Amino acid sequence: MTNSIPEIRDTELMFVIGSNTTEAHPIIAMEMKRAVRNGSKLIVADPRKIWLAEIADLHLQLRPGTDVALLTAMAHVIIAEGLVDEAFVANHTVDFEDVKAAVAETTPEWAETITGCPAEDIRTAARWYATTDKAGVYYTLGITEHSHGTDNVYSLANLVAMTGHLGKRSAGLNPLRGQNNVQGANDAGASPVFYPGYQRVQDPVARKRFEEAWGVPLSPHDGLNLNVMMKALNKGDIKGLYVMGEDIVISEPNCSALEVGLNDAEFVVVQDIFMNETCRFADVILPAACFAEKDGVFTNSDRRVQRVRKAVEAPGEARPDWEIICDLARACGYPMPHYSGPAEVYAEMAALTDKFSGISHERIEAEGGLQWPCPTLDHPGTPTLHQGAPLIGKVEFQGVAYRPSEELPDEEYPLVLSTGRTLYHYNAATQTRRASGPMAKQPVNFVEMHRKDARRRGLNDGEVVTVRSRRGAIEATVAVSPRMRRGCVWMPLHFPESNTNRLTNDAGDPVTATAEYKVCAVQIDGIAR
Amino acid sequence: MSDTIRLVVDGEEVEVPTGSTLLAATARAGADVPTLCHDPRLDPMGSCRMCLVEVEGQRRLQPACAYPAMEGQVVHTSTDRVERHRQVLLSMYCADHTLDADGLPAERALGNQLRAHVEAFGTGPTLPPIGTPRAGREDPNPYIHFDPDSCIACARCVRYCDEVEAVSAITLAMRGSSTTIATADQVGLLDSSCELCGGCIDTCPTGAMSEKRALGLLGADEETVRSTCNFCGVGCQLDLHVRDGEVVRVSSPPPGTTVNDGNLCVKGRFATEFINHPDRLTVPLIRGDDGELHEATWDEAIRVTAAGLMGVKERYGADALGFVSSSRCTGEENYLVQKLSRAAFGTNNCHQCAAT
Ligand code: SF4
Ligand code: SF4
Ligand code: FES
Repeated sequence: MTNSIPEIRDTELMFVIGSNTTEAHPIIAMEMKRAVRNGSKLIVADPRKIWLAEIADLHLQLRPGTDVALLTAMAHVIIAEGLVDEAFVANHTVDFEDVKAAVAETTPEWAETITGCPAEDIRTAARWYATTDKAGVYYTLGITEHSHGTDNVYSLANLVAMTGHLGKRSAGLNPLRGQNNVQGANDAGASPVFYPGYQRVQDPVARKRFEEAWGVPLSPHDGLNLNVMMKALNKGDIKGLYVMGEDIVISEPNCSALEVGLNDAEFVVVQDIFMNETCRFADVILPAACFAEKDGVFTNSDRRVQRVRKAVEAPGEARPDWEIICDLARACGYPMPHYSGPAEVYAEMAALTDKFSGISHERIEAEGGLQWPCPTLDHPGTPTLHQGAPLIGKVEFQGVAYRPSEELPDEEYPLVLSTGRTLYHYNAATQTRRASGPMAKQPVNFVEMHRKDARRRGLNDGEVVTVRSRRGAIEATVAVSPRMRRGCVWMPLHFPESNTNRLTNDAGDPVTATAEYKVCAVQIDGIAR
Repeated sequence: MSDTIRLVVDGEEVEVPTGSTLLAATARAGADVPTLCHDPRLDPMGSCRMCLVEVEGQRRLQPACAYPAMEGQVVHTSTDRVERHRQVLLSMYCADHTLDADGLPAERALGNQLRAHVEAFGTGPTLPPIGTPRAGREDPNPYIHFDPDSCIACARCVRYCDEVEAVSAITLAMRGSSTTIATADQVGLLDSSCELCGGCIDTCPTGAMSEKRALGLLGADEETVRSTCNFCGVGCQLDLHVRDGEVVRVSSPPPGTTVNDGNLCVKGRFATEFINHPDRLTVPLIRGDDGELHEATWDEAIRVTAAGLMGVKERYGADALGFVSSSRCTGEENYLVQKLSRAAFGTNNCHQCAAT
């Protein structure tokens, strides 16, 4: 996020797109509700009539996967009606001409034919957004989990930059991070292309810095990202896999193909707190401590580095992941230091980066969470990014064109399936499926669908059906829902015995390779009993 | 209009932002004004009368939580009149509350502000118990317990559910001394719009709304450990309550102190059963030649893991290895996994489960 969570309450307009905030980020949603109570406008763009849509001033119920059409049409309106922040564009951006050219023809009327949103609503959204001072964009996986996810993000960034909504309190571009420490894992260099602190592995200067610190030569070429890694496993290019704290069989798309790859792998290690689906393929399983049993930091959506503290002992012989990794490195012949604890590990990382070099466990202990960039020990941290001027110097506009999703509905698979998370469960749900409240609320997998789509198939609410795609089939319970568009269905990802990722498409975005969890084609049939 | 105003509280001059309440001003002066129906996250309701103070020039006592601070005001928070008011008011509350053997409002598992006020300020003459039965129903939801006899009808839970959580699952029902809390159409909480956020428990001043699993813990020694929620990316701060080596419940730090402003969702507040769950992995396991998993020592497990990964590297090169790190684990652990992948094995094939 370029803004901070506490800034939300002072905003004047929120444009929430591809984020079911009340379920995926409940406490951020509370701030949004508070902002609405304080008089902020709310525009929601989502294929489902999600909870926030009910209190929104405008709901753009677009077809799944048509975000670029919507956003380029908004850009078209902003340019055509002279609502561009010319000063910001002149001082802080380059290549505006590219966008101008790209959106010359993307009228709201054209976008209406693609998105299904009335042209007039698209105009209204563009005008409100462009003419409100404190206007913030909020998005999450509904924007990124597409084969054109990068284009979606570029289109949003273009809107933000052409209206100068950057570097101000309560106005910015705010991806809401899905998991407790996605931000922190990226920051720490769990990335095939970046060392800690977003230093490129291809940059010889950065490489030298880490080679000197770690005392070994390092590989100069980019590694494989997760989606590509999983496909390489399938092709036999990856032979050994070490998996810490993730159930890849549940959470990766097109899991049937992945299972074949895991079966063929020569060596698989799983390090986790519970036996999970991936463990079926593991040669070694290492029992780990959970968050309440260890020390360290998590970094949240607004770049806030906060402490995790040990409250209880891990069960049996389970050990904190950091200790296991260090032992393993030493057993492989690498002289990993004998760290006294996570504070010392953090200090090693901080010393190798600029963004976090002012952060330490001691400071967090004394001051509470710190928001990076925080380059020096006396730096207070940065609640709002890009204040004064964009961090990268100039924002580059990117002309993008609408491209349909990889798999579109057809006669055989006429429904568009989107997937996501619910309030009550969390991802592979190894934790929430052991919680009584979530299980009382949502015990089994379900498929939300429009009343008419259900009726046409002779299906009733609560009936168990088969949902199938080109990649697999699973059973789920029908939930007829007024939230759905016709022709669209939605399923959560939390149920191992009915794994929605048997259906999803592993087609990836050309830049990030993030998979298209949000759009694939399915058919739903009743089960003859 | 200037940004701040100055007034005098108990003889001390204080400066507060324009638009502040008297309660904010008295707090600035370090005066301890008791409240019951006040919660900084909610619009002031001014209904419990606990916070009345004397404002010079005003005939009546005024509720500090709702009364605006104004330039030049002179405020007294503990005159005889104010103290007398508090005692009489507390007598009235006591007459309508479950009392313990000492005649104090009964302690509830999560604390009882009413009891604390009685202890701090005393009561006036004892009034006969009101004893009107208040309706309450046993609700089958796993987390939230409502005890109608401890309810003082301050409506904090209802207002929280309305204003902050904005789902309006619960409401004030009946009237007068029978006023109680119920779901809108008399269904169970699980069948209502309730999202099990537990905010009603958190805000309740008397513990009438309380946590089912805390009910048995009355007076127990607990240690609290501040930590960060391990679910979504909001990064709510939590206090883990530990008793006999187990996390027995979770609460939020007070409003205004952390990013979550006193709030938590159902996962952060309640979904901790996994920590002590019998399904936890507790010993390293190695798959034997028979295809089954067998318990092993850490030494063996680390040796076999190292040999397995090194073997792949020797046969096919480091880039035949993949390291999947985790956005569920700590920053330090992610740092160490990428260091393991890059420095110990020589490959950049290291990624975490979610790039977004
Ligand atoms: S748990 Fe939350 S949603 Fe449910 S009644 Fe209490 S405040 Fe309302
Ligand atoms: S308490 Fe809920 S909203 Fe807060 S971090 Fe945890 S999961 Fe997210
Ligand atoms: S706290 Fe002021 S009237 Fe209740």
